[in-house]
Formats: sequence, C-alpha cells, structure tokens
Amino acid sequence: MTTRTPPVTLAVEARASRGLWGDAFSRLRRNKPAIVGMVCIVLFVFVAITAPWLAPFDPNKGGLGKSFEAPSLAHLAGLDKLGRDELSRVIFGARISLLVGVVSVTVGLLVGGVVGVLAGGLGGKVDMVLMRIVDVMLAIPGILLAIGIVAWLGQGLVQIMLAVAVTNAPIFARILRGSLLALRDAEFVTVARSMGADGRRLVLRHMLPNALTALIVAATLALATAIIDVAGLGFLGLGPPDPRTAEWGTMLTDSTEALRRAPHLIFAPGIAIVLSAIGFNLLGDGLRESLDPRLKR
Amino acid sequence: MTQANRLRATAARDADAPLLSVRDLVVRFKTHDATVHAVTGVSFDVAEGETVGLVGESGCGKSVTNLAIMRLLPKPAGRIEGGRVLLDGQDLAAMAESEIRDIRGRDVAMIFQDPMPSLNPVLTIEEQLTETLRAHRKISAADARQRAIDLLVLVGIPNPEPRLRNFPHQFSGGMRQRVMIAMALALEPRLLIADEPTTALDVTIQAQVLELIRDLTQKTGTAVILITHDLGVVAGMTQRVNVMYAGFIVEAGLTTDIFAKPSHPYTVGLLHSIPRIDGGEGEELIPIEGAPPNQRLAPVGCPFAPRCAWRTDRCLTENPVIVAVDGSGAAVLTGAAATHRIACHNPPTPAEAAAGRPLSGGASRVGATGDAR
Repeated sequence: MTTRTPPVTLAVEARASRGLWGDAFSRLRRNKPAIVGMVCIVLFVFVAITAPWLAPFDPNKGGLGKSFEAPSLAHLAGLDKLGRDELSRVIFGARISLLVGVVSVTVGLLVGGVVGVLAGGLGGKVDMVLMRIVDVMLAIPGILLAIGIVAWLGQGLVQIMLAVAVTNAPIFARILRGSLLALRDAEFVTVARSMGADGRRLVLRHMLPNALTALIVAATLALATAIIDVAGLGFLGLGPPDPRTAEWGTMLTDSTEALRRAPHLIFAPGIAIVLSAIGFNLLGDGLRESLDPRLKR
Repeated sequence: MTQANRLRATAARDADAPLLSVRDLVVRFKTHDATVHAVTGVSFDVAEGETVGLVGESGCGKSVTNLAIMRLLPKPAGRIEGGRVLLDGQDLAAMAESEIRDIRGRDVAMIFQDPMPSLNPVLTIEEQLTETLRAHRKISAADARQRAIDLLVLVGIPNPEPRLRNFPHQFSGGMRQRVMIAMALALEPRLLIADEPTTALDVTIQAQVLELIRDLTQKTGTAVILITHDLGVVAGMTQRVNVMYAGFIVEAGLTTDIFAKPSHPYTVGLLHSIPRIDGGEGEELIPIEGAPPNQRLAPVGCPFAPRCAWRTDRCLTENPVIVAVDGSGAAVLTGAAATHRIACHNPPTPAEAAAGRPLSGGASRVGATGDAR
C-alpha cells in the first residue's frame, strides 16, 4: 500500500482555452446560412450608421413636379409622391428600424429576464403569480398588444419601442424560467449546494449562465420580429407621427396607395424589411445550432 | 480556522461520542400516485477519522441516506420523515436551511459519482474550486486563486496555473474527479461523503483516485463515508462496513469480519456472486435469485426474505432488528472493536456461509430455493 499518489502526467496539456463561447463561435463560422445572415446584419447596421454619408440625396428634399418618377441612374429606386429620393429614404429608414429593434429587445430582455429569474429562481407562489401574468400577456397576439399600447399612449418612437418591448418581455420571461427550472435539478447545482452555495449564488452564478444560451437565440430572433413589428405598426398608420420621418412600414403604406401609378416604390422598403428580418432569423438559427451541444453534428 | 472549529466542536461533545450519528433515519419519496420507502430506520455511526463503507445494490437507499444527511434530497418529493442525524450532537435533520448551508462544504462535503455533470460547464475550474471558500469565508480573489492552485497541486494536476482558466470539458474524466476532490476538501471538512467516486471512471484511474482520497483524508483526519457497490473497493479502503438492502442496514461490522465471516444471507450472497482472485478454477458463482422488493409498498417482514434461501415463516411477517452476531449485549458501534451485527432471524452457519447455500433442509424452512416469491 503506497502512501503517495504518483503525479499524473497525461497527454492532456494545458492549451489556451477558447471556452464555451469561443467553441460556439468557431461552430458558427462553419454555418453558411448564419454567415449570410451576419452579412445582412452587418450591411444593415453599416447602412444605418453611415446613412447621412451613404444616402445620395436628402431624404426630405423633393419637389411635387418630380412625384412618382420612375427609377433612373440618378434615383435608383425612383421618387415618392413628394418627389423625394426613395433609396435615400430607405437608407435613413434603417436607422429607425435598428434603433427601435435594439432598444425594444433590450428593454424586453431586461424586464423579461428579471421576471424569468424571479419565477424560475424562487419558484412557488412567486412563480405561479408571475407566470399567470405572463400567460395573460401571451394570450394576446403580439401585434394586437402593440397596437393597443400605441393607441393608448399615442403615436411616437418611444411608444413604438415600448409596445414592441412589451410584446417580447413575456416570451423572454417564459424561456428563461423554463431553462432555469430544467437546471434546478442539474447535478452541478446539487454539487454547488453541497459546497454551501446559497440560493442567490446558485441561481445567478450557476444556473443563469447556463440558461442564457436559449435567451440569446430568442433575442436574436426577436430582433427580426421587432423589425417586422415596427414596419407593421408603420404600415397600419401607427408609425412615427412626423410624416417626414423615413420609416419602412410607413413608406410601404404610402407606396401601396400609389401602386398602380408607381409600382416600383414598394420594392426598396420591401426588400429592406425582408433582408434585415431574414438576416436576424438566419443568425438566430445559426446561434441556436452552435450554442446547443445537442444539435452538434 | 478549521483547526479552531474542530477543537471547539470536539470540546462541545462527549469525549467518546462519534462524529456522526445517524439514528432511525426514515426517508420517503412522495409522488402523486405512490410513496417510495427509500430508507426505513437506518442507524449508524462514524467516528472521527474513520472510513466507513456503505454497500448495497442500486436502489437500496445508500445514496439517499447520504443526500438526507446533507439535506440535499430532491424537493419536494423526497423528505426525511423520521430519525436524527447528529453531527457533534447537532441534529442536521432539524436544522434551518441557513444553518445547514454553513455545515455543507465546511464540516461535511460530498464527492459525486460522475464528475462530468457535476462540474458546471460554463464556469472555469478556478471559479468552481473557490466555490467552497467563497461560500464560507471572506477571501480576496488573489488568496482564493492561490488556494485553488495549491488544491490542484494537492490532487496531482500538473501545470495548475494555466489549468485554472480551463473549462471542465477540457479535462479528462479522472482529472475532473480530482478537481471534484479538491473542491470537496478545500476547507478540510471533518466528514467526506464519497458517493461511488470511481464508478464512472476507467479501471486504471480508479485506483489512483481512491488512493488520492485515502491519502488526503488521512492527512487532514477527515472521516469518510464511502458509498459503493464494489466490494473490492470496500475491502481496500474501509475499516468498517454497513451493508444495506432495500432501505435497511442488514449487516454491520469491521470490514475484516464481514469478509471473513459474512453472517447475513444477503452478504453471503453478495460475496458468492463475485469471483475471488484466489478462487481457483472450480469456483462456483452463486447469483442471488429474484429482484429487490417493490419499495412502493410499506415493508413487511424481512426485506430480503423473498429472495432468501434461509427464510422461515417468521421472516415473512416480522422484520428482524439488528443485533450482535455472537449474542452479546451492548454493541460497540465505531472503531477497531466494533461489534459484528446482523438483522436476521435465521442466520446461516459459518459452514453454510462458506458454501453459499443452506446445507440441510431445516424444519423451520419454507423452501430451499431462493427464487420463490
């Protein structure tokens, strides 16, 4: 019976760790649709940020004499009913979509995250009460809820952001709570408890990081929905109240009114909405695959 | 600090009282359609520095017993429905959650069976190694880090400093179990519960890990409860053994006694169902026929009776209490002079135990075959 443990020198050399996120990213890079999605998103964000320099014309300068002019080399997407350059307006519209999308999803994440952590972490009565509220909110179709909020609070960018955030928050709360509940019985949680970790540390340090992957995917997909929701509200006439603001949904409505005279006007905003929404969808699906080890091929 | 704790705690109780004293522990799991009688009146002691084995087949309640000691039973189904778990005279079973939290990791720590799901996949090894320290002490990040490095050195992980930044999936199974051991022993607990610590490991790694547990706990004077179904591990590691069956302890005593003179039919069956290294070619393995009882039903009679070749009518109706084999009165429960005890109405004779089957059809016997239920 020896009393000394031989030092273990196995082939497992300490290598620079890329960690969970590093590994996920390297899987993501091999996912072609996700790369396409990322290209769309990068383009979208780039256009939104550099709009003042990128746009060939002032989006608000026009002239009634040039109303509904067909696309030409100078005006690639044609001119709208007030003779404004449609392409420039689409470029500026990216700013609104990006701003509303990012702000509303972030707010939704914060609110939904807190509710989800409280419900999934504390459980019991807190969980029951919070989840019933979430149930009620989920029972109302998202766009209807958003319309209701804009109708109630009035038109405006902040109201739109709030409306989209409110439709997203219960979805995030539900997803996070579900992940946390599944993790509550995970063996490493029992181990952490056996080491004396308290409830707060268990939930925030051990369970939450493991539950975040699902939430990140949901948030990416929610960005796509948010862009469509914003456009949808604009299309229904609930967009920004200032008619000078270039907003894709509002532009789409305007172009449908003149569909027979100038059918070319629906293309630019329509393509912009589709590309940005598809971009986030593709990236979201790619993230889901690369973050979820069970989907590993 | 641990030293001070230890001294304070030792002074607080009787000089010869054991470190841990489990008395009549009853654990039941209530599901919506049934109650599972997982542990039914288990009593055993563990003295300071002792290594005690808890042996039995899957589902016999050995893991549940220890989860109950740590108060880690899955909620809300699992509940301690009776008995006491005295650590230094303090009843862990009756403590508030905040009190037991202070005990966990500091006084009693646990090593789990499979090190892969036991480590958090998204946290670095450093984060997890310092878990115990941070839960019980105010400690600076630098000190915690140094302690983590020391712990990795202690459990024989080469190149500890860069490895602290690694994640569990970058370690092999044996390495992960070493990390688990380091986590459990970070505060030099007084009792370590090792729940099948080597079952998920490669045979070649098993011996190393067991040796590591033995060396480190000897160094710190930590008592160990070793849960296993591997009789070889028990023989090599423990001073005393408790054999569990269907939620009861059926035989208890010194490891040497249990292996030399198994006295309960179940232990006899266990020892005859594994090949001996010195058994020779003619050795016959005798399986234990039948299956463990349905623990959804409240136990009646001896739990082993339906599978037992020595059973009598009495066995089917009356559960035997655990008493000394030699019939002596007061039993010694811990230490080198521990009494060999069994719970059996009709124990096999030494000759029968050696043969592994009854040698003559006794008058009181119901049937000779073990598979009749």
